[in-house]
Amino acid sequence: MRYLREVLGARELLANLVSREVKGKYKRTVLGQLWSLANPLALMLIYTFVFGLIFRSNPEPGDPSGLDVFALWLLCGLLPWIFFSTVLTMGAGSLVANAGLIQKVYFTRIVLPLSVVGSTAYSWLFEMAVLVIALSIVGGFVLPWIPLALLLMVMLTVFAAGVALMLSVANVYFRDTQYFLTIGLQIWMYLTPIIYPASLVTRASNDVGGLAGTAITIDGIYRLNPLYHYVAVFRQVLYDNRWPDPVEMLICLAWALGAIVVGMIVFRRNEKNLAEAL
Amino acid sequence: MSDVAVRVDHVTKTFRLYHERNQTIKSAVMRGRTSVHEEFLALDDVTFDVPTGSTFGLIGSNGSGKSTLLKCLANIYFPNKGTITHFGRIAAMLEVGSGFHSELSGRENIFLNGSILGMSKKEITRKYDEIVDFSGVEDFIEQPVKNYSSGMYVRLGFAIAINVNPDILIVDEVLAVGDADFQAKCMRKFEDFKAEGRTVILVTHDLNTVKAMCDQAAWINKGELMAVGDATATVTKYLDSLS
Repeated sequence: MRYLREVLGARELLANLVSREVKGKYKRTVLGQLWSLANPLALMLIYTFVFGLIFRSNPEPGDPSGLDVFALWLLCGLLPWIFFSTVLTMGAGSLVANAGLIQKVYFTRIVLPLSVVGSTAYSWLFEMAVLVIALSIVGGFVLPWIPLALLLMVMLTVFAAGVALMLSVANVYFRDTQYFLTIGLQIWMYLTPIIYPASLVTRASNDVGGLAGTAITIDGIYRLNPLYHYVAVFRQVLYDNRWPDPVEMLICLAWALGAIVVGMIVFRRNEKNLAEAL
Repeated sequence: MSDVAVRVDHVTKTFRLYHERNQTIKSAVMRGRTSVHEEFLALDDVTFDVPTGSTFGLIGSNGSGKSTLLKCLANIYFPNKGTITHFGRIAAMLEVGSGFHSELSGRENIFLNGSILGMSKKEITRKYDEIVDFSGVEDFIEQPVKNYSSGMYVRLGFAIAINVNPDILIVDEVLAVGDADFQAKCMRKFEDFKAEGRTVILVTHDLNTVKAMCDQAAWINKGELMAVGDATATVTKYLDSLS
């Protein structure tokens, strides 16, 4: 509790660091903040071409929205994923990148990884706004669902922050955490129903049945992935325009709370040792 | 307010001297261990009080543990044994301009760096003119700091740190920055500090500065406190040990 108060007391510093990242990132570029759209758009084009056109992954049309546009269906899962993986990658490196500052000035260290979360969330908010506009143009009735979508975004942000806190500390002690993370995130992305619908996995799993004679199925293991649930609720709200499954919501909430609590505890335990370990 | 600004009580700090340090998971797994090290005693049972309103000098040869002690005082390192108690708000100036963002303007950096040093936005706004004035970079304040000369960079950093207005200010060898004019300005600022009853702790190799500025000094050698007390007497003892 006292630690929470300390973190809260540093919110002004946090806000300043976030604005440093946001302002510094696209300074002196012609397109400015528009650059943050470049990466998701490029990925959208590639995946739509390969998985929408060639492999025909064919997700079901939105119910009840009736939307049937692969590129937008893809983005509803891809944008949260890009946010999540960016927070993890940048958050993991945040302490090492600011080693000079940590060794010279005392301040609440936790603001460093959290500022990465904040600035990435800012870009994400911008990308999601563009997505909402695109969804509305093709006939989705997204506007009433915006408050719920924002709540989901907060939940994913909390989850990502918790994981990033742990990784940032791990990266101080083992510098190759970042490289393992890059590989891990690639695998993780394909294990999450972002570019293909989850129903394909269920079907494949049903064909195989219980693994080695047990009741454990591929689908059961597949659903242990927290991002599976996050992607599902984002699509239900944004693409289908309906209330998300309450069970999925609870699972997402549990992951978010679990990650942030463990992340804060891990960070707090190691905070005092950072200046020496770096 | 108590008459002690900082109480250093039986502080011991050890470091690990690494013969082998595996900082990657790959090497840790391959070698089957994370490190081979021995303990190195950087500070050995150091005890002294810094009186409120004094200017306190820390002297000693290179590698004597001065900087370690300073970092302990600044809450960057934490002692293995013993405690350090501060009575009042503390600001440390171990390196000026750390935390500047090169793409941001001087103005934006004042706000950023000020908040890293623990000032609130209101405080910075109030002191803004004073900071700019002290740094002498008014004409370039809207320029990104990457275009600053190294002197301007350091002066701006110093101006921010000194305007945090702490009860206890910790300074490390940063007085050697800027031209003679700026140094004189800094000295005057330290005098003001003292007049306001604030405490300054400084580390320097310039013994004349210590004699001129400090009331009290502590001499550290190989992690042990050799002498503490009146500045001139301590400096004399230190000089005697050298010859």
